[in-house]
Amino acid sequence: MFTIRRRNFILGSSALVALGTGPKVSAQAAASMTPHEKELYDAAKKEGELTWYTAHSDDITSQALGRSFESLYPGIKVNVLRTTAQVAYQRITQEIKASAIQCDVLSSTDLGHSVELKAKGAFEKYIPENSSKVLDIYKGYDPDGYYFVTSAGLIGIGYNTAKVKEADAPKNWTDLLDPRWNNNIALGHPGFSGYVGTWALTLRNQYGWDFFEKLAKNNPRVGRSINDTVTMLNAGESAVAGSGPAATLLESVRKGNPLAMVYPTDGSVLIIAPSSIMKGCKHPNAARLFMEFLMSPGASQIWVDHFTESIRPEVPASKIAKPAKDLKIIRPTVAEITKGVPEVIKQWRETFGA
Amino acid sequence: MTDKSLDDRALHFSGVASRLRRLDASILLWLALIAVLAFLVLNPILRLIISSLQETDTGHFTFANYRVAYGNIRHLQALVNSLELGIGVALLATLFAVPIAWAISRTDMPGKAFVRLMVFAAFVTPPYLGAIGWILLAGPNSGWLNKVWMALTGAEHGIFNIYSMTGLILVVAVTSFPYTFVFTSSALDLVSSEMEDAANILGARTLRTTLRITLPLVTPAIIGGIIISFLEAIALFGAPALIALPARFNVVSTQLWQFFEYPVRVEEAAAYAMPLLAITVLMFWLQRSLLGRKGYTSVTGKGGERRMIALGPWRWVMLGYALFVCALSVFLPMVVLLQAAFAKAWGRGFSLDNLTFHNFYYLLVEQTQAKQTILNTFVYSAVTAFAAISLTLAIAYVVSRKLVPWSNVLAFLCVAPFVVPGIVLAIGFYAAYASPPLALYGTATILILGFTTRFLPIAYTSSAAGLRSINPEMEEAVRILGGGRLLAIRKVLIPLLKKSLAGAWILVFIPATRELSAAIFLVGPNTRVISVMLFDLSEEGNFEVLSALGVILLIATVAIAAIGSKMIGRDFMLRRD
Amino acid sequence: MSRLKLSGVSKRYGDFFAVDTIDLELQSGEFVSLLGPSGCGKTTTLRMIAGFVDPTAGIIEMDGQVLSSPAGSVPPDRRQMSMIFQSYAIWPNMTVQQNVAFGLELRRMPNAEVKRRVGEMLEVVHMNHLADRYPAELSGGQQQRVALARAIVIRPSVLLLDEPLSNLDATLREEMRFEIRRLHDEFRVTTVYVTHDQAEAMVTSDRIAVMNHGRIDQVDHPRALYNKPKTRFVAGFIGRTNFIEGTSDGHEISFDGFALPRSAFGRDVPSQGKAVFSVRPHSMRLSDVPPTARDGCTSVAVIVLERAFLGEHWDYVVKPREGALTLKVTTSPLDDFPIGAPAWLEFEPRQMASIA
Repeated sequence: MFTIRRRNFILGSSALVALGTGPKVSAQAAASMTPHEKELYDAAKKEGELTWYTAHSDDITSQALGRSFESLYPGIKVNVLRTTAQVAYQRITQEIKASAIQCDVLSSTDLGHSVELKAKGAFEKYIPENSSKVLDIYKGYDPDGYYFVTSAGLIGIGYNTAKVKEADAPKNWTDLLDPRWNNNIALGHPGFSGYVGTWALTLRNQYGWDFFEKLAKNNPRVGRSINDTVTMLNAGESAVAGSGPAATLLESVRKGNPLAMVYPTDGSVLIIAPSSIMKGCKHPNAARLFMEFLMSPGASQIWVDHFTESIRPEVPASKIAKPAKDLKIIRPTVAEITKGVPEVIKQWRETFGA
Repeated sequence: MTDKSLDDRALHFSGVASRLRRLDASILLWLALIAVLAFLVLNPILRLIISSLQETDTGHFTFANYRVAYGNIRHLQALVNSLELGIGVALLATLFAVPIAWAISRTDMPGKAFVRLMVFAAFVTPPYLGAIGWILLAGPNSGWLNKVWMALTGAEHGIFNIYSMTGLILVVAVTSFPYTFVFTSSALDLVSSEMEDAANILGARTLRTTLRITLPLVTPAIIGGIIISFLEAIALFGAPALIALPARFNVVSTQLWQFFEYPVRVEEAAAYAMPLLAITVLMFWLQRSLLGRKGYTSVTGKGGERRMIALGPWRWVMLGYALFVCALSVFLPMVVLLQAAFAKAWGRGFSLDNLTFHNFYYLLVEQTQAKQTILNTFVYSAVTAFAAISLTLAIAYVVSRKLVPWSNVLAFLCVAPFVVPGIVLAIGFYAAYASPPLALYGTATILILGFTTRFLPIAYTSSAAGLRSINPEMEEAVRILGGGRLLAIRKVLIPLLKKSLAGAWILVFIPATRELSAAIFLVGPNTRVISVMLFDLSEEGNFEVLSALGVILLIATVAIAAIGSKMIGRDFMLRRD
Repeated sequence: MSRLKLSGVSKRYGDFFAVDTIDLELQSGEFVSLLGPSGCGKTTTLRMIAGFVDPTAGIIEMDGQVLSSPAGSVPPDRRQMSMIFQSYAIWPNMTVQQNVAFGLELRRMPNAEVKRRVGEMLEVVHMNHLADRYPAELSGGQQQRVALARAIVIRPSVLLLDEPLSNLDATLREEMRFEIRRLHDEFRVTTVYVTHDQAEAMVTSDRIAVMNHGRIDQVDHPRALYNKPKTRFVAGFIGRTNFIEGTSDGHEISFDGFALPRSAFGRDVPSQGKAVFSVRPHSMRLSDVPPTARDGCTSVAVIVLERAFLGEHWDYVVKPREGALTLKVTTSPLDDFPIGAPAWLEFEPRQMASIA
């Protein structure tokens, strides 16, 4: 009845696994667990569940990760709450203020949030075993052990192939300023999306804020999440996604939508997205186990299946998506993000009006 | 038994001591009800006002919050935008609702049952869902209406742009006109045809009679509808977030949201929210003074028969108008939502190879939270409805039978939350109860409490209206035969009120299921409701799944309301069968 | 030419005739009542005259012009008529002044003129000092006056009133009966007045049409209706009466227990056969003095069965010594006959109406 696609197959088999073949799988999983993981698992099983706030990916990918964890570690239910980074941050700060921590693991796309929350003492220190096994570029962001990179994504320029010929498509960020794209560019909003916040900061560093003043003249359609841009392309509402998330866009292509990805000549923006365990959370052991999982090859395989970067060297990139190591990359430093993103949000509102 | 002992007992009974004892009981009752209302209504609002005058983290008194909130030109602009939105919606909703109400209540327009059903469907549709439908319809480059236009005329661009203030006004008006419709048609149902005959025979034809006699007679109802539409519009969060932001303007509710960003500034949010409160109070004062000492109901009871006016060929014109409004509010958005709900990729349009059940499958099977969310929504709404109705029935009883002194204070507190926009009430609740000592953040309790408070005014008005229709002599008959007050309530009052209470229950249940503005601040990860989930889904552009969830919400709500109505023999407009 | 003419007017609902072949003519300035019990068709007739309902048969004409017919009708707003409704239908959101001015404003009269006419009219109904009040602030009687003022100020061709006094208490009703007649006289408006109250009809009307089951039984001046009712229904509906059946043999009419000479009656008494009479309770006298030969043979010996004292008169029920017939008799408060007492009942055959 449904076209069995690889994603569905994974989800389906995970579901089957979770539903029916418990002991056999747990034996398998147990076999592949390190002693440390096993220890965590035994403790986590007693906790029984985990709440994960994530802005790292869309709902489907996030669900896939949650299901995979559940099948590897039966008995621990994962509550997946996918929102944009700012919304996740809001909820976290509300919980902290109310002294009622609901979140166990926070995966944000705004490194600045992690720095700030760490300074506030909101995180629990935990250095996962797997943290030493990820690719070098993702290591060492917080030597103190309060947050770790668990995901990375690329932002380039997307376009609708039905409306734009390959030859005419923008090749670089500055091409977006061309008046021919007036009323046809989709953007996310840095006030909601961590991805967009970092992207805007990167381009500000590259070209100065003047770039955005000019971009505003081209009347872009501003959504909220960076994924909104892909929606606009799909709808035919915009022809070009000025802040185009590679992962979501390529997912969409796989669904059959007429889209294509451009990796700008001045460099694609690489977003480093960290995860942390909340201090005082209700399921600390499950949280630790989940952190291990996020940095495991299994998780990276799921990322790759959904066109996001792999953070493990063992897991190769997908055939369709260009991995970060093959591209020119631009990105801001952590210090720049912490200070710059709030600035950029303010400037954005002044320039774009809302 | 001597006579003297009887005398003693009589004396004892009427003595000061026992009078005090009886007074105690009523004072206790009053205190209990006041305590509940203070908890639900007074405290959150007071906390809000106090927060607005406090410095973050230190709690010192300051006006700085107001300076920050209103010193910024963009914040002021948002306030102006909200007012524009409110006025626009109020006017447009009136324009939609009044002619249709008149046609249904007083003329021989055909298809009334169908039109009523459509109005009900519009009532059940949350504004943010309507917004999404309209985005699919009238997105400037991709909306279906624009595509049709471009195909028909060969134009390069569409002519409708939903991302505009006009678009937002339209979207909100088409889902809020049912309120005005209900008020106006209920009032019109009570106007005696003799009022119109009197004008008729003096020489006025149908149109003039309608404009100069019939409609002015229901002015209170129309004004009530205008005020409600206005207040709803300025308090909405979902539809503006979906339409205003891409249109690059803010309204007060989206601006309030920003105060909760990093870093969180509850105090500034509170300060910013104050004008909304002030505007609402102003509205009510305006209503009072406008209506003044004119009477509006027929002064005598007799001759109240209502006959339908024969419109001749004009009845088709009226039907056409009604269907046009229904198309805007129900048909068009529903069609596109259904298309998206059953589509693999909605942008691919209406084609057989684009059909799939997968979105529903995903929601009901794969996505783990959806089932819980759906269940949460209906359970919380049902509990809210029960809580609100029970509480307000008790209070309405106490007020109408004047059982305690100053009972009007209770009535006032019940209706006061009406003055507070949902989003502001939620912030107040959050400020008052989310943190310790009560630490209700993320619980179902705070959500239900917030909702109950939000819907107290509707519940109270319905309960009070129901009670008014029952003659106190019914209970007095029980009591003179020897039964106590509680027995009278149980055996006489409640059975008589069943239908009216069930109707009131529905009137609270339905808006509760679609409530977003209050929910968005009060939900926790385990207590998400459909409205918030729809909003989150809209953030990542997954319109297919979102539409499927919206369809589920609508079908379930309509089913529950239909069953409820059948059981009580009245529809949601509380008309008799 | 008559002002208003109904010819063969009927209104049928399925098999039921609400109004069955009505013929009625009103001269200009006449005041005619449609009198009858509820359901007799009087209100339906009134609404047909007004144009709110179309007849299923017959025509309604005014000044020779056809207003209503089964084929089509002039709508109410073009008939130049006025109507007072049972509920008065005063618009509660307008002042007295505005209510009364409404019809004039519709006729595009200049403002000054409107003001003047309204002022005059309010003066006539003694409501001038309340011109700026709202209906909710007025008493029942005052609202009634506003309704009258509003209806009459436009000088309608025909004024229609639908049971206007049924909402008022007894004293007010009496007062307003005279008011309505006074206004009619002052403005000479052709008036059709619907009521179930015969006293109202008697006080106000030039002629009364008594209606029963959709038909007009009799149209006549009040006195004629009272004294010479043509049908049982009319006799019984207007005032109280006794019905007695007798047989005529040419010389005398024999009733149950007594007989009266035919020569004492008026002309329209049958010479042979059955004759039914309506005898008003006050048209007979009770006396304790036996009749002399001079008085003629119109006295009958009776026994008093029941009696009630009502202040202004005595109500007696008496029975002739022979026979089973009982008769209601009304006498002056001074005629005191105890129960069981014998008495003489004197008839006045000229006041006995022969019923068809």
